Amino acid sequence: MVFIIITVLSVLGLVFWLTNVRFAAKPPAPGKKPDYFSWLWAGIRGLFKKETLKKGRKALDTWINSYYPGWTKWIFWALAASFVYQAASGFLFAVFSPRGMFGIPLLLHVSVGGLFAVSLAMTLILRARAYRPDQEEEAATQSFARPPLKNISKSLLRKILFWLFAAAGLCLIATALGSMVPVFSFETQQSMIDVHRYSALIALLTASIFLDTAFLPQSQAK
Amino acid sequence: MKQRILIFALAAIVLVAATAIPSSPQKKIAWDGSRITPVHQIPLKDELNQVIVPAESYPLPFSSRYTCEPCHDYRVIRQGLHFNETTSTSTGRSGEPWVWVDEKTGTTLPLSYRNSKGIWNPKDLGLTPWDFTLLFGRHMTGGGIAEPDDKDMTPESRWNVAGKLEINCLGCHNASQVQSHSEWAKQVLRENFRWAATAASGLGEVGGMSSRLKGTWDVFDGPNPDDSEWAVAPSVLYNKNLFDSKHRLMFDIAYKPEDSRCLACHSAALAEMKKFNFDEDVHSAAGLKCVSCHRNDITHAMVRGYEGEGKDNAALPSEDFTCAGCHLGGKSTKDQAILPGRLGAPCPLHKGIPKVHFDRLSCTACHSGPMPAKEAARVRTSRANRLGIYGVAQWATGFPSILEPVYIRDKNKKLTPHRLFWPSFWAEIKGEKISPLKPEFISAAAGEILTPEKAVTRVLTALFNMPELEGTPALVMGGKIYELNVDGGLDASPYPALSKEKALFWAAKKDSQITALIPVFNPDLPEAAAEAETHIQKVLEALKNTEAAPGQPVCVYKNVLYRIVESYMDKSEFKGEPASPPQLFWLKDGKTLPFIPDFERKTIEELTGAEQTLTEAQVELVLKALEKKRQETKSNETGPFVYISGGKLFRLSDKQTLEVKNNEAAGPVAWPFAHQVRPAKQALGTNGCTDCHRAGSSFFFGRVTGSGPLKTNRVLVRSASSFMGLTRPYHFLFGLSFTVRPVLKWILFIAVVVVGMMLLLVLLIVLGKLTGLIEKRR
Repeated sequence: MVFIIITVLSVLGLVFWLTNVRFAAKPPAPGKKPDYFSWLWAGIRGLFKKETLKKGRKALDTWINSYYPGWTKWIFWALAASFVYQAASGFLFAVFSPRGMFGIPLLLHVSVGGLFAVSLAMTLILRARAYRPDQEEEAATQSFARPPLKNISKSLLRKILFWLFAAAGLCLIATALGSMVPVFSFETQQSMIDVHRYSALIALLTASIFLDTAFLPQSQAK
Repeated sequence: MKQRILIFALAAIVLVAATAIPSSPQKKIAWDGSRITPVHQIPLKDELNQVIVPAESYPLPFSSRYTCEPCHDYRVIRQGLHFNETTSTSTGRSGEPWVWVDEKTGTTLPLSYRNSKGIWNPKDLGLTPWDFTLLFGRHMTGGGIAEPDDKDMTPESRWNVAGKLEINCLGCHNASQVQSHSEWAKQVLRENFRWAATAASGLGEVGGMSSRLKGTWDVFDGPNPDDSEWAVAPSVLYNKNLFDSKHRLMFDIAYKPEDSRCLACHSAALAEMKKFNFDEDVHSAAGLKCVSCHRNDITHAMVRGYEGEGKDNAALPSEDFTCAGCHLGGKSTKDQAILPGRLGAPCPLHKGIPKVHFDRLSCTACHSGPMPAKEAARVRTSRANRLGIYGVAQWATGFPSILEPVYIRDKNKKLTPHRLFWPSFWAEIKGEKISPLKPEFISAAAGEILTPEKAVTRVLTALFNMPELEGTPALVMGGKIYELNVDGGLDASPYPALSKEKALFWAAKKDSQITALIPVFNPDLPEAAAEAETHIQKVLEALKNTEAAPGQPVCVYKNVLYRIVESYMDKSEFKGEPASPPQLFWLKDGKTLPFIPDFERKTIEELTGAEQTLTEAQVELVLKALEKKRQETKSNETGPFVYISGGKLFRLSDKQTLEVKNNEAAGPVAWPFAHQVRPAKQALGTNGCTDCHRAGSSFFFGRVTGSGPLKTNRVLVRSASSFMGLTRPYHFLFGLSFTVRPVLKWILFIAVVVVGMMLLLVLLIVLGKLTGLIEKRR
């Protein structure tokens, strides 16, 4: 139950925080009082517009071509697709099913877990260089406009997110593997399930922020 | 003056009655803390609460109630689990039902006074407490239904003759090796209810049979001086050496009953297993007794030890004695801590077993009963198969055919191993409801349809009394020799010298030599013919005494018919097909009838060597007989009639042929079991996940095949997963995934190493940066 509460609150909080950053960065329309919820509703409706989808696709293609050239794009797609399935199936059952995951979704969750592990390891091999921690950071102007990340550059943030995601991924894979080997006691396994769940939550949150900073058009910070 | 006398008389009666009232529960003795069991050197008391003097003539049997009552509250004990089947309001987990087995009519009907799915209440079948006690008293503890209140005694019962079957305290608590369960069962069968405990405990020798006495006999009538052979009234001859001069007897009492006492009624073993190969329960092997876990106080409310018992019976410390209670500890429903390791129970780590298994499987699923196999194993239990009663007669029965392990979800939604059997019984359909019929009703309606062997046994019995016969009479038929057995039935043994196709012949068996009853002879040789004809005459004379003979016995040889007319042998021309070798027939209205009619012959041949007791042809004929009876009585309330066996319902179609249907009432009756418990090394899953998770594993894909007294191929077959409520294709797929599971583990392991090393590297770099060991780059 604690996990469900933490998950729901942290996801809602993250959505609010990210959207609020954008809302705050947006110049107010002349003569109109800024209204967050109207803006958010308009944004959500806008997501389903053909034009938006087109723009999004274009931005994604550009991004992938920049960072994952040639055949390496398939590694990104494998990572993205497997993570989306794992997160969707995992959180749906964790939050809404008292019985936990079962049946075909569980079977797929375990199988896709293998794909996630392989693609994560390969992504790290391919992209670790771009997120190496000993690189000089950009100017602080390209930073977030809202606390608590007001003074952190986007570049540093992405690095942190990237390695945080990798660390969460490591926990996810290790706990999955740990459940499959006859080494750990019942109590340890119970703890591993908790670690698996919270790692998944961290991975989801970091991936969401990374997505926001990587793909969506950024407004100028105030 | 008269009034005063009356008042005095009434006062005297009240005073005497008050002193005669049994002791009150205030006498209950609380435990003083000492761990010794008091020496039970006490006087025996009879059912009138009088001290028994063994040297007296015709002493009464001892009464557990009045002998134990001074210290132990009998009325409280009567509320215990073993005695409260009709009074308890707590249903608890379903237990093994009583099974009414009648092989002749093919009946194996589950009965219980405790409500449970698929189990019939004896009251619904019209069984009175008397009937029930007679049927099952052999394995009852006494008390409860076997000790009815006066208001519950039905007029046709014989409680006044047999006495009540009081709680047999010594049945459990007698530590003496003399205690005999077989003796108890025999006394119950003889309707010597009030004598059963005395005989079983070995305190005295009981003779006579209440079942042969008139219904008007009373225990105070004493022995019958006119009959010392047949209707002998029961009596006790106490072993006087056991008593002291004060008529006190030293009871060898076990406060905690020995396992053998529990196992008299609770044994279960695989049907095909040899005794020497039987492994006892791991707890017994570790030195625990049954009652180490299945505890009770004076209320005799037993701890059964199943998960969730605490909710069913809050008065018991049940959760302390579940598997988890002793081995894992935890918290009770009353939120009290339960420490693990009770009585030295090892605390299992269950390494590598995912949590989901503990959520959805009971401990017993992996640790109890035989390992699951392609077909569920057949098991026999004391109460259902009448085990543990030894003597001249054979008590144990093959039916019901109980199978285990079958995994079914319990009240906690956990898969729990169950025993089950497929009920078989005759019934009538009233609207939507199926009502079982008593075997005696079926026997009466079926006549000789259900006793085909009688056509043979009657002839063999008649021949048995032929003094000139050298050896014992036998019938050779279908490659087998049929002989009479001690119970008046037929025993069959192979006769390889004759092929199955050859006709039957009557024979004499001496020292395993078979000779034809009427040998071939040459009628043209006067001397030989005369000798043979004399022999035929003797055979026919013996056969004249055949019980319920359908006609006159005759012998046909070639074209001559031999018969006895007014004590003389008569020879006449036989106009039918000439016979050789000589053959016996029944002659009725000038026509010859086969000695063994076709139906009887086929039925005997079909059932010989088979465990089943009925053929489909018999079922069809019985259903027709029942239907005919219904039409004769013009009863609109009854019928149609059906027979249930092997998970199927058999009934007559519109064309009066036997048709088979599925019906819920034909479904199996199941109850959970927990023993024998296997150690961890022999638990399910000890060889890894693939013990269960593989395509075609016995756990998910084993079969449970319908079985019963009817010999038929039309039985219900169910898969193990259908009992679990699981989808077969999914578990097939899930099982298949375990073939690639090792590869997946390696993939995950490599990924963990790669990702882990890179993260370690990053961590080192960050550390280097923070400490200045690594300079920033542009």
